Amino acid sequence: MTTALLEYKNVHKIFNQNMVLKNIDLTIEPGMVVGLLGKNGAGKTTLLRSALGLIEVDTGEVFTLGENPTQLNTELKSQVGYVPQQAFGYEGFSIREALDLHSSFYSEWDNTLELDWLKRFELNPDDMVENLSIGQRQALALIMAMAYRPKLLILDEPVASLDPIARREFMLDLFDLSLESGSGVIFSTHITSDIERVATHVALVKDGEIKLFNELDELKTSVRKVSFSNETAVNLSDFDILNTQNNAAIISGYKQQDIAGVNHVSSLSLEQLFVELHA
Amino acid sequence: MLEFINVNPSSGDPIYKQLHEQIVRLIVGGQIQAGEELPSVRKIAEYFTVNPMTVSRAIGMLVDQGWLERRRGQPTRVAEQQPQSSEQGQTLLYEGVDQLIQQAKQLGVTVNELNEIISQRWEQ
Repeated sequence: MTTALLEYKNVHKIFNQNMVLKNIDLTIEPGMVVGLLGKNGAGKTTLLRSALGLIEVDTGEVFTLGENPTQLNTELKSQVGYVPQQAFGYEGFSIREALDLHSSFYSEWDNTLELDWLKRFELNPDDMVENLSIGQRQALALIMAMAYRPKLLILDEPVASLDPIARREFMLDLFDLSLESGSGVIFSTHITSDIERVATHVALVKDGEIKLFNELDELKTSVRKVSFSNETAVNLSDFDILNTQNNAAIISGYKQQDIAGVNHVSSLSLEQLFVELHA
Repeated sequence: MLEFINVNPSSGDPIYKQLHEQIVRLIVGGQIQAGEELPSVRKIAEYFTVNPMTVSRAIGMLVDQGWLERRRGQPTRVAEQQPQSSEQGQTLLYEGVDQLIQQAKQLGVTVNELNEIISQRWEQ
């Protein structure tokens, strides 16, 4: 067996005759924090849910902690953390009651961590879950998914509703989890600057396909926008071409070399790259 | 010393490269002295809220290149003997100058005019 915490092998998924996941190959190993970046409807949520067995893929295989995610036993399930886009459940419970019930399913639950995070997110244990704001619910969902230090943490737009300070502190927790507990994290987001801070790796998803998967540092070093005035005079065969535009192209595999016929080479932030890929 | 460093995650440059360049500049410019201790990777990562892996990569490069020294069980320090090169200070400006030259060319400014502009601004 490999050490992979999550592995997709040639995965396809079709919904209503639309191919929503195309040829997905992706491996997440301990210590990796993978940022999943894509437009709404690009397939991010489907990708994440298929790792939880909530969606069955049509072809290819998914291995979650080495097993088929639709057949995870309780032991393995208790090593996976998941925060969905919309936190749900526990209406009618106070935060305290909800956490007591939730934690009873996890033998590795860390009470100290729970108390720290309640304080940090300024959650009052006596408050009723249904009266919480969206951001507070998200914070509670994060505590519920992380206080047992899961081996694999799957987050679907986890921090969109958190304020910037809570977001930063949450990121530090992710580092602790990935580096100290050797967990793997995959999270989807629109906020490119969050990925740039937290992620070790980035997967760019477009139309159900992973267009680019790389270490973040490596991506910034090897992806460039090149512009030229005469398309026919440019030879880009040494590179992966991610997108072409009028008199410009987005390439991967750049190693500081001179490229004949190119007027200008520019580096891109993740946001710029994201926009350029959809141009 | 961290207050002298400015990390911009949303730049086209990888974070490890930004840290590397700025720490070299601080050493060459004498803002941090030989023997001075660096905060731990973890502290640096927390300070900037960036992944410790990228900080560790920058520190590792600086150690490999001789700017920093790491001894077992001790904090990382600025090396007593800096890598030999009298040109270090100048080569560090290349990237900024290259950008300036590119902008000058786009504006049709000649090298003489550019030199003139630099001399004028230098005096201010």
